[in-house]
Amino acid sequence: MSIHFEKVDHIYSPNTVFEFKALEDVDLDINMGKITAIIGATGSGKTTLVQHLNGLLLPSKGFLTVNDFTIKADEKPKKIKDLRKQVGLVFQFAEYQLFEETLIKDVAFGPKNFGVSEQDAEEIAARALVTVGIEPKDFNKSPLELSGGQKRRVAIAGILAMSPSILVLDEPTAGLDPQGAKSMMELFNTLNKEKGITVLIVTHNMEHVLEYCDEVVVLENGKVIMHTDKKEFFRNDQYMEKASIDPPVIIAFKKMCEEHGVNFNSDVLTIDKLVNEILKKRGRR
Amino acid sequence: MNNIALGKYIPLNSFVHKLDPRTKIIAMMFLLVAIFIPVGFTGYGIIGVFLIIALILSKLSFSFVWQSFKPTLFMLVFLLAINMFIIKTGDILLTIGTFNLYSGAVIQTVYIVLRLLLMIVITTMLTATTKPLDLTMGLEDLLSPLAKLNVPTHDIAMMISLALRFIPTLLEEAQRILKAQASRGVDMESGSFKEKIQAILSLIVPLFVSSFQKADDLADAMEARGYVVGAKRVRYKQLKFTFSDFITLVAVIGILVGLILLKVL
Repeated sequence: MSIHFEKVDHIYSPNTVFEFKALEDVDLDINMGKITAIIGATGSGKTTLVQHLNGLLLPSKGFLTVNDFTIKADEKPKKIKDLRKQVGLVFQFAEYQLFEETLIKDVAFGPKNFGVSEQDAEEIAARALVTVGIEPKDFNKSPLELSGGQKRRVAIAGILAMSPSILVLDEPTAGLDPQGAKSMMELFNTLNKEKGITVLIVTHNMEHVLEYCDEVVVLENGKVIMHTDKKEFFRNDQYMEKASIDPPVIIAFKKMCEEHGVNFNSDVLTIDKLVNEILKKRGRR
Repeated sequence: MNNIALGKYIPLNSFVHKLDPRTKIIAMMFLLVAIFIPVGFTGYGIIGVFLIIALILSKLSFSFVWQSFKPTLFMLVFLLAINMFIIKTGDILLTIGTFNLYSGAVIQTVYIVLRLLLMIVITTMLTATTKPLDLTMGLEDLLSPLAKLNVPTHDIAMMISLALRFIPTLLEEAQRILKAQASRGVDMESGSFKEKIQAILSLIVPLFVSSFQKADDLADAMEARGYVVGAKRVRYKQLKFTFSDFITLVAVIGILVGLILLKVL
């Protein structure tokens, strides 16, 4: 079980005036069983990178391996359907892909494509819908009756119903209200901790990275410029400054304290821990 | 899907690009009429020479025009085959068993090929050298006499330009949905008939839903900026007739009149 990129290039519209190199020389190993954040500015190749994981895009050069599958340049991987069953990819604004008359039918669509019988598929779909927090009384509603956030949950349920071992999410919280975004991230956290699903999240939200992710991959102009664990990433805020990413509030707060001569342990990354540290320092005075 | 040469605008800076879109539309119509004046190879020769000069002036490459022509090749082979069996005039060129190939069939086919080639070159030149927006603006101007008959010419032009504007957006959207459904195990290429219908539905339904959504949003955005249907409005960009437009029109009208005279005399 592994995800491994080796010298992967991806070029859009090669040999035309519109030629664009979206990925360049990407070497990457994703640790299984973790939540990995993929961050970088718009146009840095994040979406291109994750679309390689289930063979939607093929490398222009180099190759990658996902579990037992090898995805090479210019050669469709064998049994691509099996690969897509194992790697669940949730697109940006996934709510636009709903098309069936009822929620349950739409979620059952995925498993049915992978040869599950109609009845079993609906059972699996019901379970997936409950997992994402949709109540059974709503199962027979039309997707058009739901709010944007709920629709997105249904779309995610549609992917979960295929019971993938790797879940890839392209900006899953974009356009959601803070509460909705938080519960969405909680959902991924639960899936990771309880079912051991490897989660990759493309995101711009550093608070989420700080709170939920284990590792961080930073892309810049199609190149992986950093792959490290979360603590290391937030310890060194030079990158964030360079890429003009707003640091999470807690990191910004600590930095301001440091400027006034109050230093905290770099392991302090939650509000609870920070409060404790502050209390300790006050007690000492 | 991004390799469609037909109807694509090629941004260059040339004599033809700088012509008034109205001139180009009128020239296109006159030339298309001229093609159908039956004066044989002389006529096609005259139009052909004119188009080659125009093509050089437009700085478009010949291979680009060839690309637009390629999709029709299949049709031409088909036409030749039909003509061979149907047309039985002129001299017998070839006899295979009981089948005779007549010179009339060959000449007719060559006529059709030339006509089609000329038509494609003319229309490709128009769309490749004129921005879609300028094209609709020119069309609106040319239709403006009809406004006196209460034909909503501005609305028609606006609809055309909006439709053109949304072609790339819809293509992009379709590709995105296609990928999203592929991630859910949809296979557009193989599978039974029923599965294929289901696969196409999974593309069409979301595409329709998002198109209506986009249309709604666009209507709101236009209204928010003060767009009122049927209101009188002025233009930021004015079309100007220049000396080169004059020359072009004189040349095109010259060809048309010349061919008619050739036919009549």
